[in-house]
Amino acid sequence: MNKSPSVLVIGGGSTGTGIARDLAMRGLDVTLVEKGNLTHGTTGRMHGLLHSGGRYAVSDQPSARECIVENRVLRRIAGHCVEMTGGLFVQRPEDSDEYFEKKLEGCRECGIPAEVLSAEEAREVEPYLAKDIKRAIKVPDGAIDPFRLCVANAASAVEHGARIETHSEVTDVLVEDGEVVGVEVTHQTGSGPYVHGEPGTVEEIYADYVVNATGAWAGQVGDLAGVDVEVRPSKGVMTIMNTRQVDTVVNRCRPKGDADIIVPHETTCILGTTDEEVEDPEDYPEEGWEVDLMIDTLSELVPMLKEARTIRSFWGVRPLYEPPGTGTEDPTDITREFFLLDHESRDDLPGMTSIVGGKLTTYRMMAEKISDHVCEKLGVDSECRTADVPLPGSEDFSVLRDYMDDFNLRSPIGRRSVQRLGSRADEVLTSVDPNPVVCECEAVTRAEIRDSLETAGTDLNSVRIQTRASMGNCQGAICCHRMANELAPEYDEETVRASLDDLYQERWKGERHAMWGEQLSQTALKHMLHVTTMNRDGDPATVDKDIDFAAFDDGSSEGGDAAGASSDSAVADGGQKRRAADDEHEGGADGDN
Amino acid sequence: MSDAESPTNPTLTPDAQTDDFEAVDVFAESTDMDLRPGADNCYKCTACDVSCPVAEVDDEFPGPKFQGPEQWRLKRKDDAAVDDSIMSCSNCMRCDDACPSGVPLSQMHNTARGEYVDEEMDKLSREYVRNRILANYGTLAQLGSMFPRLTNAVMGNSVVQQINEKVLGITAERDFPEFATQTFREWWNERGGPQVRSEEKRVAYFHGCYSNYNTPEVGKAMVRIFESFGYEVVVPKQRCSGTPMFANGMLDDAKRAAGINVENFSGLIPEGYDIIASCTSCSMSLRQEYPELFDINGIEDLSAHTYEALEYLRIHEDLESEIREASVSDQSFAYHAPCHGRNQGLDRQAVELFRELDGVNIEDVGDSCSGISGTYGWKEEKYDKSMQIGSDMFDHMEHAEGNVGMTECPTCSMQMEHGTGYDIKHPLQLLEEALV
Amino acid sequence: MAITDDVLVVGGGIAACTAALSAAETGARVRLLAHKKSTLRQASGLVDVLGYIGDGGPSADPFDALDSLPADHPYHVVGEDGIRDGLRIFDEAVGDTYRGGHTDTNALVVTYGGTVKPTARYPASVATGLASSTGDMLLVGFEGLTDFDAPVAADHLTASGVPFDVRGVTVRYPKSFRSDAKVTRFAKALDRDESVSGGTVRSVLADTVAAEMDGQTRVGFPAILGDDHDEEVRDELADRLGVPVFEVPTGPPSLLGLKLEDMLFDALDDAGVRISSGNPAVDFEANDGRIDTVLVDQKSRLTPYEADQIVLATGGLVGKGLDSDREQVTEPVFGCHVPHPEDRYEWSDPEAFGDHAFARFGVVPDDELRPTGEDGEPHFENLRAAGGVVGGADVAREKSASGVSLATGAVAGRLAGEEATQ
Repeated sequence: MNKSPSVLVIGGGSTGTGIARDLAMRGLDVTLVEKGNLTHGTTGRMHGLLHSGGRYAVSDQPSARECIVENRVLRRIAGHCVEMTGGLFVQRPEDSDEYFEKKLEGCRECGIPAEVLSAEEAREVEPYLAKDIKRAIKVPDGAIDPFRLCVANAASAVEHGARIETHSEVTDVLVEDGEVVGVEVTHQTGSGPYVHGEPGTVEEIYADYVVNATGAWAGQVGDLAGVDVEVRPSKGVMTIMNTRQVDTVVNRCRPKGDADIIVPHETTCILGTTDEEVEDPEDYPEEGWEVDLMIDTLSELVPMLKEARTIRSFWGVRPLYEPPGTGTEDPTDITREFFLLDHESRDDLPGMTSIVGGKLTTYRMMAEKISDHVCEKLGVDSECRTADVPLPGSEDFSVLRDYMDDFNLRSPIGRRSVQRLGSRADEVLTSVDPNPVVCECEAVTRAEIRDSLETAGTDLNSVRIQTRASMGNCQGAICCHRMANELAPEYDEETVRASLDDLYQERWKGERHAMWGEQLSQTALKHMLHVTTMNRDGDPATVDKDIDFAAFDDGSSEGGDAAGASSDSAVADGGQKRRAADDEHEGGADGDN
Repeated sequence: MSDAESPTNPTLTPDAQTDDFEAVDVFAESTDMDLRPGADNCYKCTACDVSCPVAEVDDEFPGPKFQGPEQWRLKRKDDAAVDDSIMSCSNCMRCDDACPSGVPLSQMHNTARGEYVDEEMDKLSREYVRNRILANYGTLAQLGSMFPRLTNAVMGNSVVQQINEKVLGITAERDFPEFATQTFREWWNERGGPQVRSEEKRVAYFHGCYSNYNTPEVGKAMVRIFESFGYEVVVPKQRCSGTPMFANGMLDDAKRAAGINVENFSGLIPEGYDIIASCTSCSMSLRQEYPELFDINGIEDLSAHTYEALEYLRIHEDLESEIREASVSDQSFAYHAPCHGRNQGLDRQAVELFRELDGVNIEDVGDSCSGISGTYGWKEEKYDKSMQIGSDMFDHMEHAEGNVGMTECPTCSMQMEHGTGYDIKHPLQLLEEALV
Repeated sequence: MAITDDVLVVGGGIAACTAALSAAETGARVRLLAHKKSTLRQASGLVDVLGYIGDGGPSADPFDALDSLPADHPYHVVGEDGIRDGLRIFDEAVGDTYRGGHTDTNALVVTYGGTVKPTARYPASVATGLASSTGDMLLVGFEGLTDFDAPVAADHLTASGVPFDVRGVTVRYPKSFRSDAKVTRFAKALDRDESVSGGTVRSVLADTVAAEMDGQTRVGFPAILGDDHDEEVRDELADRLGVPVFEVPTGPPSLLGLKLEDMLFDALDDAGVRISSGNPAVDFEANDGRIDTVLVDQKSRLTPYEADQIVLATGGLVGKGLDSDREQVTEPVFGCHVPHPEDRYEWSDPEAFGDHAFARFGVVPDDELRPTGEDGEPHFENLRAAGGVVGGADVAREKSASGVSLATGAVAGRLAGEEATQ
């Protein structure tokens, strides 16, 4: 039997994992490398909207049509990643009627079900909408969890024989005889040792074909191969609310603009966004005014947002692309379509294709087209099946039962667990006993944490994105160390500590953008808890200073009565200040008076 | 025939209020409140959990933080499933008192419980029927007190108690409170209503069910004290404050009663009346739960003008000087602050005041919950837990100098009596003895 | 008629209690006006005075290090005498339920994160488990209690270089609760020594742990060993195990913090301090630079409290004595000036355990602990501040939170009491 052709996919976002799954299902030998976690780049930094296409119904109808098609596909194959919230395009009195009509017409032209609601009807759907809104268009927008989606794609790829390497950065593209033949990756050497690959080692991975699915980073990988990929990275801010003020996606019905969408996502709402071109997808300013803009502008639609608690903000970088010479000035005008750049026909460099542009909702369709392209290159004749075969976790997802009784979980905890785990709930939730809740804010149990560790290794950030543990209102104040504890006894204490530090720092980064009001109180409590109560900042195990334990109070004020605990106290006692308290009681009141 | 009392504006009193009075559509059905934003205040400090007397003894109860902000935050609008453990909450509201951050815990609990009872509880189940009966103590009492001696004899009969336990799930361990031979309202009518008239000092008395049917002496004391300070006291027609209904998730019943109470009391406010309650659960209900749970015209106004009796005098009179100059025969009390009094910041006032009263020795028996929490301790399956919760209080009472108990809350007083055999007095009774 | 006293202490935590006790010592008639339960319930129950300065290691003697504190540190206002006075009031209030008063030296206590930290006073239940004493240690955790992982903590202690061997085990609690039972339930079951198969909770727990022992001379548990009868629980376990038993302080929910709160309130009762609790002070009336009346929001209605002297001890950001929005940080009751950087991004450091400005937020005291305005003059003649609401100290990094509260509480309370009774 001939060996299957091998494909190396760079990038563990939705596109990369989607391609890996597609090709693996077609029987190819796939390796995916990702420099961080799955979803590390843009995918993990999106607003979680499952587009109906309504947003593009006026400006970009081809994208809109693709969206509604894929919207339906994802509901079918990724049920456990999708929440069909429905969406509203809300018109305020100052928003133009003309645009409203164009939006409605556009939706209809693109096959997007659209229905006009009066202000009263819209407020019945979402009671917290502003009292003075004019009307709204109802469309089938939804919410999608990009983390779960990628993890499920990767899991499916692995089931079909793929190898997934996270924390493995491509440090070179191997070109031999004018052809791309593979990549060199450096396995992670960061503060926490990870399970994939030996930390710090460099590995050359050869493949029959390489797919560059690194989105906003495509230009950098292109550079390594010596080709120009003109990505125009554009940043957008997203601000996360502590609770769901709305359960429907709420869009502002007006031509493109900043801060025009609220997406109910899991337990939160995500406010978005801005669109501003940046030089470097990893180094750009994250500024308070952007957060303020979200709150101030979107509270015109939902006034209670003004005073509501935000728990963090994050920025994502869109991998926008336009063919050389198009010359669009404003990034909001750049098309959201995706581009397949075959470097053989384009740059005379066979063996590699880059994919840029596009959006999460159509990731599967993009993956299908790339996979078709790769198969064609490799002479493989195989059909795409990703539109029909559900992702792991989404099989038979319609069979929802009374989970709380089955798993001895409180009903909201059981419900949330099942919403996250889908059809894997049984298998996962019965695997551990006792099964205490580790993250109370997001209702994540020990069983779910342990399950996620199987792919996360020691990377608690990966645990976080799979389970949502530490993503609730306390931002890990209460549960970060509990999550880390779950790494033991498989990993040693030093590893546990290093992983905890990584997670802690990651949480801090986003939380800093929300530090006022309730969240500043929360942060102060977190600080007191970790710094005062646990002394994690001055931890002698971490801080490089030896302690003279004998110089401290050993509790003995009365000879040897402090039992075995202080049997050595006489010699260990290094403090001259210690009073020879020989009175029977050692209470301070007796001593001091 | 009517025992209603509203001297300045008789039209305020709805006539012919029968028991099947239905609140009109002004308060249409809209109990599906979205309290998720309340979770914004929670920062997971767990002060509520360690204050919860039920969580201490009930392994199955996950505590107020879960029941409140966590469960609410995890909700999506259309989710119906409220965890059934909500029915183990006794509604003592100590979590409200504990939360340093203003999470509307009891409101969340009450609303979730209402939702649970509405949507998930079998309306034919023994539990539902029993809870409905307990929640509507006022109706029960009204019937019982028509023939108080007969009722007392029947309810005190151990066979009847066993039947109650077996059929209804009402514990046989407790003796039903005895009905007074003359209700407070009968007394009030007999004496001809208010004995003092005043344009400036006016209060409307919310006696609640218990002072009316079981301990009219508390109501009488309240009237005499206030009249001695020159207040005009009126006693509008009223229904149950709703406390036992909230605790059992019977929000529709509570809303009906609230509608009547708001209508009968709020109209008096512009006439210069403040509303006084002698039961701390009644004042709690009118002050906090009413505006939190119901949207009824005038309800905020009623809330803002409601006081507990002693509290009112402390703020409006120089009660402390009066007490300092008074004296009573030597007596010692073991005082228990009811949870609902604590919630209004009233837990210390009786001890603080009576410490100054010549002849009185009063000792606070600690800050534990009495364990009965209204109807909670009456439920057969909760009885043992109720007594476990109360055990600290019983201990402390037995170690206290006096062997008379004191509390403002009628059900706490049942529990105190049940656990120790002590006589229990209301602070107003001692105040009457001192001042009138 | 307002409710009238000499000194009104606004707040209900360790600073407020200390201020009230201190004021009561002057003979003043004192009222404590507490809102909800204090941050003591979230804290470990340890009383730190000063553990770290700058980037140095833990300080063995808190008093030695005072001079090196930044100039605007509240310890400079109250001085060493103030700190000692605060500790005296504390020691008298808690009696022999706390240890550490026999020496000026800090003890190193095992935390539930497995670290050690320097502290000046510790509950008696913690005393035999000090990391600054020797004796091999067994740490015991429970399967359902995710907060304390005894094996991880033990290894962490070893990594800290503690002068003894330490091992951790995870066992099943003798009584099977649902996994979300509260720690108060665990404590209560031990308190009442409930029966379980094979004996009682205490005896079965002791048997379980005894089977894990391997020559250790002390055994530590997360701080759930009883509530009302904690000493009895410890004694019995120690007796059955034949070695001392200690508790490892926990974060919230903290039974040790809860017990400390109870003791402080008992001390207030004993000192004749009046207590009004459950409702927040929200506003005030002032005349000629003096506060006459503090207004308390008693469920949508304001109740006036009058006093000659006021002590503000409402806590910091955690205790809600300080409030903030996107633009500013405020002291909400009396509107005292709270200096802070204009840009909210400067309120915190990019490093999680960095030097955060927010940690030092608070009112600026004059030399009598009166909060001052931007001009440096006191806002009110008769208003003093104590505890977390006072700025200038990064109490978390210094490990000085309780110490600052005790010292400022003692001094503010004494000055207020003296002034009121003059």
